[in-house]
Amino acid sequence: MVGVSRTTTAFSIGLREQARNYVLLGLLIVLPFAFITLAFAVTQDVQMPVRTLVDGEVTTVPRAMPDVHGVIMTPITSALIAGLAGLFLMREARDTDGRLAVVGYRARQVIAARFGVLTTLTVVVTAVSIGVMLADFWPEHLWWFVAAMIVLSMTYGLVGMLVGAAVNRLAGMWLMLILPMLDIGLFQDPLFIQSSPDWWMKLLPGYHPVRVMVDTGLTSGVDTAASLGWSVVYLAVIAVCTVFVYYRETRFHRG
Amino acid sequence: MRRFAVGVQSNVRTFLRTPLNAILAIVLPLVVIEGWGQAMAGLPSMPTVEAIPIDLGRLLGGIFGVAIIAGLMGLVQMIDARDADQRLVRTGYPPHVLLATRLATLATVTVVVAAVNYAVLRLTIEPDASVAAFAFLALAGLVYAFIGALVGAVMPRLFEGSLVVVFLAMMDAFLSGDSPLAADVPDFVQYFPLYHPKQLLQSAVFEGTFATGDLLFVGGYILVLLAAVTAIFGWTMRTAGGWSA
Repeated sequence: MVGVSRTTTAFSIGLREQARNYVLLGLLIVLPFAFITLAFAVTQDVQMPVRTLVDGEVTTVPRAMPDVHGVIMTPITSALIAGLAGLFLMREARDTDGRLAVVGYRARQVIAARFGVLTTLTVVVTAVSIGVMLADFWPEHLWWFVAAMIVLSMTYGLVGMLVGAAVNRLAGMWLMLILPMLDIGLFQDPLFIQSSPDWWMKLLPGYHPVRVMVDTGLTSGVDTAASLGWSVVYLAVIAVCTVFVYYRETRFHRG
Repeated sequence: MRRFAVGVQSNVRTFLRTPLNAILAIVLPLVVIEGWGQAMAGLPSMPTVEAIPIDLGRLLGGIFGVAIIAGLMGLVQMIDARDADQRLVRTGYPPHVLLATRLATLATVTVVVAAVNYAVLRLTIEPDASVAAFAFLALAGLVYAFIGALVGAVMPRLFEGSLVVVFLAMMDAFLSGDSPLAADVPDFVQYFPLYHPKQLLQSAVFEGTFATGDLLFVGGYILVLLAAVTAIFGWTMRTAGGWSA
């Protein structure tokens, strides 16, 4: 009971700290709005070939380019912000969570609180991004699309935490900008990758979730349920790695 | 003058003391330039959508890579400098010299980053005007380095600052980069930071020439940014009580 109370306290303090930062809250709304709206506004309204699954078969179907672009720009936005949030949460944790350990917090309580803050930020950013997108484009299967977005954003949030534990802030920012941009924006974008993706592209965090988003956003059937499952497995593996790294960081500080 | 040189040397040493930063500053351009080039080349040609030649894709990757590496470096340089600078002022360092050392370090490292990007580009592209192409790549980096510094001076928190720099750079790369996906690009795009540097670089690489108007615009852009950084940094330090020395 005491453990739950401590976790709740640490979580609510972490959340209040973010909520008190009006500049951050403003940016979390303004940046997705500007970026996603702009992407829709300036993209040519022409039909483009999109490679996706239809009735279990990989096929190429014509789709309006603004819709395809929106399906890619929306997850890039939330993945970028979640990744940077994870990076800075981990950097901050390295500096401060040792003190919580000194006053009797267990590592798992601090970890749960930090993950809670990251999850909340991720859900907020995902909700804002999808809300902005819906003004211009409505996916064929909204809830599948939302599920894939949340899984992808959480995965990048945790990747950000891992990066934050491994490298300094500058290197971390470089990595957490370039990784999602190349992964989601270029290597998983069906406009650019018209043939079967290379094996290494399939190892990137965006592969399975973006497949789901392209499928459920642009086609009438749902052919990528298995991909959503793999996305969750990927997320779980990253989460286990992050917990392990976080635990080590906390113990290091206690030592 | 001696203080200035010592300041720049110690700032550069601080950067190099983290080898990972130096390694990433070399590896990331390789990844971005080649990744951008290969991906862009995959775009199919459609009646109103022109496929991007792989070399132009690489060039766009190069200019974006320089911009973002320099922009985030500028941000970190200014934010990390705050506390240290106040202590240095107390020990007798003139504030304007401190700011000059920070910006000179930033410019030095940015030129090195541009050189790395240029070297990577040279592996696959033979520019018609080599020196000009390198200079324009460096100018693109300087513009973003000073934008990062300006954001760092206005908004001294890394998370918020990085969001601003990253999203500005991404919108800039999309709108200024002649993306074949874009149509009806608004006129104000010519005031975006990468618009004129990209025009200069593209002309120098593929035509061996450049427009003086573009160059003057970029020069003016950098001067305005420098003036803004100096004013805001000085003001924030004064209000923090550290610049009256």
